[in-house]
This record gives sequence, C-alpha cells and structure tokens, in this order.
Amino acid sequence: MPGESVHPSYIRVLLTFMRNSLVRDMSFRSNFVIESVASTSWVFMNLGFYLLIFRYTNEIGAGSGWGKYEFFVFLSTTMFINSIIEALFMPNAQEFSELIRTGNLDFALLKPIDTQFLVSCRRCDWSSLANWLVGGSLLVYSLRQLTARAENPLQIHPLAFVLYPFFIVCGVAILYSLMISLSASSVWLGRNQTLYNFWFYITNFSRYPMEIYGGTYGTPLRAVFTFVIPVLIVVNVPARWMAWPFDVARSGPLSLFAVAATLASLMFSRWVFLRALESYRSASS
Amino acid sequence: MLATRCLSRPPRLGLQVGRTVGAGGSVERMPIIEIERLCKSYQVYQKKEGLWASVRGLFRREYRQVEAVRGIDLTVEQGEFVAFLGPNGAGKTTTLKLLSGVIHPTSGTARVMGHVPWKRENAYRRRFALVMGQKNQLWWDLPAQESFRLHQQIYRIPTSSFHQTLDELCQLLDVKNLLNQPVRELSLGERMKMELIAALLHAPEVLFLDEPTIGLDVVAQHNIQHFLRTYQQTKQITILLTSHYMKDVLALCKRLVIIAQGQICYDGSLTGIIDRFSTDKVVTLLFGGDRLPSQWEPLGRVLEVVGPKVKLRVERQRVAQVLASLLADYSIEDVSVEDPPLEEVIADAFNQVSRTSVPGAPLDRIVPGTRV
Ligand SMILES: Nc1ncnc2c1ncn2[C@@H]1O[C@H](COP(=O)(O)OP(=O)(O)OP(=O)(O)O)[C@@H](O)[C@H]1O
Ligand SMILES: [Mg+2]
Repeated sequence: MPGESVHPSYIRVLLTFMRNSLVRDMSFRSNFVIESVASTSWVFMNLGFYLLIFRYTNEIGAGSGWGKYEFFVFLSTTMFINSIIEALFMPNAQEFSELIRTGNLDFALLKPIDTQFLVSCRRCDWSSLANWLVGGSLLVYSLRQLTARAENPLQIHPLAFVLYPFFIVCGVAILYSLMISLSASSVWLGRNQTLYNFWFYITNFSRYPMEIYGGTYGTPLRAVFTFVIPVLIVVNVPARWMAWPFDVARSGPLSLFAVAATLASLMFSRWVFLRALESYRSASS
Repeated sequence: MLATRCLSRPPRLGLQVGRTVGAGGSVERMPIIEIERLCKSYQVYQKKEGLWASVRGLFRREYRQVEAVRGIDLTVEQGEFVAFLGPNGAGKTTTLKLLSGVIHPTSGTARVMGHVPWKRENAYRRRFALVMGQKNQLWWDLPAQESFRLHQQIYRIPTSSFHQTLDELCQLLDVKNLLNQPVRELSLGERMKMELIAALLHAPEVLFLDEPTIGLDVVAQHNIQHFLRTYQQTKQITILLTSHYMKDVLALCKRLVIIAQGQICYDGSLTGIIDRFSTDKVVTLLFGGDRLPSQWEPLGRVLEVVGPKVKLRVERQRVAQVLASLLADYSIEDVSVEDPPLEEVIADAFNQVSRTSVPGAPLDRIVPGTRV
C-alpha cells in the first residue's frame, strides 16, 4: 500500500525548520541584531555581577570545591545550556501553548510525523546562539587559569571531554522535558501565562552549585530540586566533570542519577504530551 | 488542456479495491467514509457576570454541556463530492475535525479509508487533507514555496513528482509568480490558493474543505470552484465541503447533507431538497395587453411587478390551476416556472428544522430513497 512504509526523514525536516527560521530571522535583520546584542549583554552583565562578588570572597564556602574559576566553569556551562534552550526550545514551547489556545495545533496534528517532534522543533532562535561564543571564551579562559595555577593545578582527564558534553545534553533534555510539560498543561488550564514565571522560578535554582543549599531551609530545597524536579543536576553534573579533578567516586553516583533522571523526565514529558493531545479540544472557529 | 491532462493519473485506490454487490444486484463502490452515531460534546465553563460571581467561580465552577455533534450517521463512497450545509454552530466544522482526527469524539465510531481518524496513524494522515478557510497553516513570514518544501519533506514526496505536482497546481490556480512572496503579503484569495496547494501536494485521496471560499470575491470564488471541479473530476478523489455560499454547492456537489443542531436532517440530492423543503414555485408572467388581474391574492404571493412582467410565488400543487385560469382570462406572451433560489430553499430548510426540534430530541431525518 502506498505510503504505509514511508517515514518522514526527521533529520531533513529538522534542517528545513532551522533553515526556514534562519531565512525568517534574516528577513528581519535589525531585529536579529538587536536580539543578539541584547542577549549577549545580559550574559555579560551576569558575568560582571559574579566578578563583583568574587572581589569579596575566593570561594563559595570553604571546601565546597567552587573557587572563583571553578565557578566560572560552572557559569559557562549554564550559558551553554541556557542558550541551547533559548535557541531551540523556548520559542517552540511558547508557540505551543499559543497553538493550543488558538486552535492552530490542528494543522500540526494532521501531519504524518511525530507531533511532539513537530511542535518542539518548528522554530529556532538563532540569535540566542550568540551566547555560545561568550560561554566558550569564558570556559577556555577559566580552564587556563585552573590548569596554570601554582598550587595543585587542575589536570583535565581526557574522559572529561566526553562526559562534559554528554551531561550538557542530559541537562538540556531535563529542562526541555520540564518546559514542554509546562506548555502542554495549557490544554487543561486554558490560558497559561504563569508558565514563564514558573519557569523562571524553577530554573533560578539550577544556576548555582548545589553545595550552597544547606541547613534547615536549604537541605529540603536541595532534595526537592534534585529528586522531584531535577533541575539542580542540570548544570551541576557537567560542571563537576569539567571543573573538578576527575574523581569517579565523588561525581559518579550523582552522574548515574542524572542519567536516570534524564530518562525519567523525557518519559514523563512524553506522557504529559500525549495526554494533552488526547484532551485537546481545538477552538471553535 | 495540457494541465488537466497532466493531472489525470489513476487515483490511488487504497482500501477500496474490493467491491461489494449492492442489494439491487448492481455493483457498488465500497464506502470510503463510514460514520456511526458520532457524538461530540464540549464542557464549557459557564462564566457569570459581575465580580462577586467571578470570585465565587474560582471555587465552584459551573459547567454546561455543548452538544456540537449529536449522533451522526453518514456513509460516503469513493469519488463523491458531498456538500455539508447547516446554519452557524450546526456542528459542520466539528464533524470535519473529528474525521481529521484533530479531536476525539465523546462516543460513536468513524472510519475513513479503514482508519479510525483519532488514532492519528501516519498511514492515515498521509492520505487525506483538511483545508480550513478561516485558518492558515503556511509560515506567515516566509514565501509559500518554503512551506511547500517543508511539506515535501514531511510527506517525503520524491523531488520529481513534487515539482510536477506543484507546477500543475500553480498553473491551474494561476499563482506561479506569487510563490516567492511572503505569505503575509498575499491577498486573502491568493493565500487560499496557496493553502489549497499545500493541502494537495501529497495527492490526498480524501479532502475535507471547511469554507474554502469564505471572504473571497465572486471571481476568486469562481476560480476556486472551477479548480476544485477540475481537480476532483480528473483525480476522482472524495471531497466533503462545507460552505455558506450556495454557488459553491450548485457548482460542485450532487449530494447534499444538511446538518442542524448536531444532527443530520437531510441527506440526498439537490433536486430532492427542493422537492422536500420548497413548497412553492416561482412563476414569471409577461402580459400581452394592458389588462392585468386586479387581485393577486387568490393566485399567489407577488414578488415583483415591472411593467407587464410579474413574478409570483405559487404553491406547487396549484401551479397548473393558476396558470390555466390566467391563460384563459388574459393574453400572456411568456411564462416561466422555476424553483425558488437555492439560498431560500436552504433557509426554509434550516428554519423548518429549528422550529420543529426541541433541543435534545431527535430530529426527523429525511432521507429520500433516490440519491443522485
Ligand atoms: N473547542 C470548542 N469548545 C467549546 N465549544 C465548541 C468548540 N468547538 C465548537 N464548539 C461549539 O460546538 C458547536 C458547533 O460548532 P461548529 O464549529 O462545529 O459549527 P459550524 O457548523 O462549523 O458553524 P459555522 O457555520 O459557524 O462555522 C457550536 O455551538 C460551538 O459553540
Ligand atoms: Mg465552521
């Protein structure tokens, strides 16, 4: 029977999406430039803020393992992950809840291709990728400082170059799952404007090393954001492999947990997504 | 016409290769769309007026059931071009959405080419298309060409046949020079044509059209009608069309389905509906002399009088009698007897249905035996 065995080529569809987005971004050239400048300046201001803090201290808590340059490795990891999320998934999640509200999701549901893929990858905001340059430079600079320092210089294990990107991908997957689940909830909530506030509150916690969460108030927070909504491991796990000396005993358990949490998050988001599509009621037009 | 010839290739027959022998012994095609007792109701939040009521609504919400589709049965065979008519809110769009698998029904079954639409199988989604006049699916900021290319990839249309189909469609719709213009800069009619192309690139076997001519001028409407007719005839695909323009229906469809308040109240031919719902004929008389009847009431209702030309609306059973008496008493140069315009007949039908039906009670379903 015609058509039954033919599957769409996901890679080529993805490339076409990225290409179309680029063409579109380029046709609004000044907007593109302004957006790139704005997001890069935001990153620089953030960096300046931490530079200020490290004028008053050398590390975040004695023995936490996060000195100034270790923390800057952490920061550049945050930049990588955020810019991937902002470039690939943020515009789509935003559009997804809008598609649900306006009933334009109808068309996505007609296409013979996985709807979650279609909805998650339609748009790509290339201007956010400008932060990769900032993150990359900061990472190289900080690693130089760490490896060149006089007292116990950092030795980067070759495996770190594999584990670091791997866990960045895991982190992105966790955040993606969280985001797409939040947008999918618009199906039940109707309008979901708190989405971005909620998103901001949650990811706020992921931007700092997990060692800072301690004491009567911090410990439960740390537990919640590690085991319930696993945003704390998003940046922490890859950053540890890069910034800290290679130590499987120290970073291994949390890393294994990160892999499990990634799989669980993806499965959870898939489940939420499919449930949402079942309840989707379009809009009367 | 060259373009038409190019378009004619044998339609993909898919499932309907088997043929069944109908009750009368004649060979019938197998149904391509089968709907049974299909229902869809929406729960809508009953919003109250006033601040206090809104605050209370935060804690106790009251819901109301909107029964958009209430038990539809319908069978459509391969190659039919069916018009779906009904007043606003009748459930036409909802039915098309159910058949496209966009929404899940509350109860009932439907099969299109053997697939249950709301399972959303790729095998099904490759074989049909839905076009909605009030919505657009093309990328707003990009030329239509880019959206078409994306469709090519999603449906995996081989490049050569993609270009061939696109050329043919562009030629038929006369939009070749607009392919590279951003969609947001196209007129409504031009955009509608692009939407049609996007929907037809993968050569669907079943096409659902929801008000494809809405908001278009007469010329554009005519173009689209002409295109749809040519396309349907050469490809022999099955089309379900909703429209509020009777011109579309007259030009395209032999079979009419009227739906009101979520239920089908007429399913049959165009002539059948005129027989059923129109009790009157329009009689036009051209009087020869100056003498005109002084009283019209016993004859019929006067629609217009222009000089010696008179238009009368006469009950159907009385047409012969009225004509005979007029011809006997007056000199008449010309006579014509016509059905009232379809718009009026349909409006009568809608009215009759909403007058006779109590919400919730089943409507009388009028299905004449003959179907053209
Ligand atoms: N998503 C929805 N949520 C709530 N109610 C809906 C929804 N979609 C449709 N309805 C209701 O269902 C009924 C049927 O709507 P539908 O859009 O099918 O009508 P229609 O026959 O297409 O009318 P029109 O000719 O105006 O397009 C209407 O009363 C409408 O208010
Ligand atoms: Mg409608």
